[in-house]
Amino acid sequence: MDLTYLLELSVNGALAGLMYSLVAMGIVLIYKSSSVPNLAQGSLVMLGAYIVLAFSNGLGAPMWMAIPLAMAFMFFAGMGIERLALRRLAGRPIVMILMMTLGLDIFLRAGAMTIWGGSGRPMRIGISDDPLFLGPLLLNRAYVVGAAVTLVLFAVFVLFFRTRRGVVLRAISDDYMASWSVGISVERGVALSWALASVVATTAGVLWGSIQSVDQSLSTLLLKGITVGVLGGLDSLGGAILAGILLGVLESVASGYLDKLLGGGSRDLVVAAVLILTIMIRPHGLFGRHDIERI
Amino acid sequence: MTATPTQVPDEAGDEVLTLNNVEVIYDRIALAIKGVSVQVPRGGMIALLGANGAGKSTMLKAVSGLLAAERGLVTRGEVCFMGEDIGGLAPQRRVKMGIVQVLEGRRVFEHLTPDENLVAASAIHGSRHDMARNRDMVYTYFPRLRERRAAAAGYLSGGEQQMLAIGRALMTQPKLLMLDEPSLGLAPFLVAEIFDIVRRINREEGLSVLLVEQNAVAALEVVSHGYLMDNGRIVMHDSAEAMKKNPDIQQFYLGGAEGRNFHDIKHYSRRKRWLS
Ligand SMILES: Nc1ncnc2c1ncn2[C@@H]1O[C@H](COP(=O)(O)OP(=O)(O)O)[C@@H](O)[C@H]1O
Ligand SMILES: [Mg+2]
Repeated sequence: MDLTYLLELSVNGALAGLMYSLVAMGIVLIYKSSSVPNLAQGSLVMLGAYIVLAFSNGLGAPMWMAIPLAMAFMFFAGMGIERLALRRLAGRPIVMILMMTLGLDIFLRAGAMTIWGGSGRPMRIGISDDPLFLGPLLLNRAYVVGAAVTLVLFAVFVLFFRTRRGVVLRAISDDYMASWSVGISVERGVALSWALASVVATTAGVLWGSIQSVDQSLSTLLLKGITVGVLGGLDSLGGAILAGILLGVLESVASGYLDKLLGGGSRDLVVAAVLILTIMIRPHGLFGRHDIERI
Repeated sequence: MTATPTQVPDEAGDEVLTLNNVEVIYDRIALAIKGVSVQVPRGGMIALLGANGAGKSTMLKAVSGLLAAERGLVTRGEVCFMGEDIGGLAPQRRVKMGIVQVLEGRRVFEHLTPDENLVAASAIHGSRHDMARNRDMVYTYFPRLRERRAAAAGYLSGGEQQMLAIGRALMTQPKLLMLDEPSLGLAPFLVAEIFDIVRRINREEGLSVLLVEQNAVAALEVVSHGYLMDNGRIVMHDSAEAMKKNPDIQQFYLGGAEGRNFHDIKHYSRRKRWLS
């Protein structure tokens, strides 16, 4: 066995995995603030990417301007989604809310198809295709950038959840009724979490779009994101980071060795296996909270 | 804040809370309370007694505005806080005005520490200084909480959680504190301890208290007046002393020497959560 090859697979896998963490982070943000598992996060990633292109290609803004503009746009879009689609469901059974986010996912994908068509569009953010050399290892530059951005955002959100507003969001996710009872504006808190998740989705859309071009298939990042989220524990930011790395490494190593034997598809098998096994063995994930049972 | 005399005479114009002929309907069909009139004097401490299902929690939610979240509606009568009709206001507005309800079953934020529970309940735009002062006040009244301030609140004992729920409510700087069955599932010595502390807060901070209880024995020890609710109506209103002596109360609500609780069954409703 070639150790350098294994190492290279692992390191690139870990970097790509951190970019899955970025998708998962949006899911965690909403879950941590309202206990809603958002199945539309992948579509938000796709939408964020299209909005960046709308500002850059459509309106001619340079990339460094188009990205923050798209983030601001998505911030309000996320608030709007919460206001129009989710607020009326507050307090309803979680399965209805889940179906609503699924409906949103379908709607956003179909809408994007109608407006922008189905052909892939390039997202040029000026990262060169040349690999980066780390000793004998070849690293994918786009993954390195993506992983770094993920870690920065992770740090920002860890700090955010320690601020007063962050604590309020966590309180909301614990108990809506108790939050109302002490004057917390539950609706505003949940809207803020959707806004933040949409901004994070835009970041993920830019990074993933620059790697695989922008089309509706970006929304399937949901599958990686939700798997990472569940594995890490849906309310744990740190869990999302570690689970992303874990899934990325597993996926990359498995496909590096098994694809030759199985003829492709081993990546998705790994994702499926991780999701199914997590739910069977450890449903609250590696670091997720579980309902505290007092003894 | 200065202490206010507690035995305020029950005369018009000096009530912090007045319910006038209030009727509440759930889901547009279920009539839960029927023409309820209750008054809480400023700085006073009053009990609302009654068996399970009498409509006590419904009445509190009509005051705090939490009814809407349960598809309940005040369909008749008026709820006045310090002389102002608060009928249509959102819960946040009412908390800002000084009304706070401590929910039945404690409902602390389980995954937050006591410290964070208190932070979450303080006004988001309030000053840090106010927050620190209120938190100190809470920890002074409930020293046990200070010792456990860094543990997840879900791991506190039942008594500590009740203290935290009350402390959390105090962080909103209320003028009217409404407690919904704080004795639920607690040992008698803890009930006595908590009621004593609430009594002290009532005296020292001049906070008006409306205490909802099934445990009539314990409640009538600390309040000046009581109301008895049955099947959605107020059926008795008298001084605590008179109520203790009333044969009906003795028979139905005080029972034997120990006092009968209507909530001996430990019902602990878990909120549904995905993936757990
Ligand atoms: N959310 C609700 N929806 C429909 N009916 C309710 C609801 N909450 C309470 N009720 C009904 O209203 C009546 C009074 O209940 P409640 O106020 O909880 O009584 P108590 O607090 O005195 O035990 C009961 O008959 C109960 O079934
Ligand atoms: Mg009740």
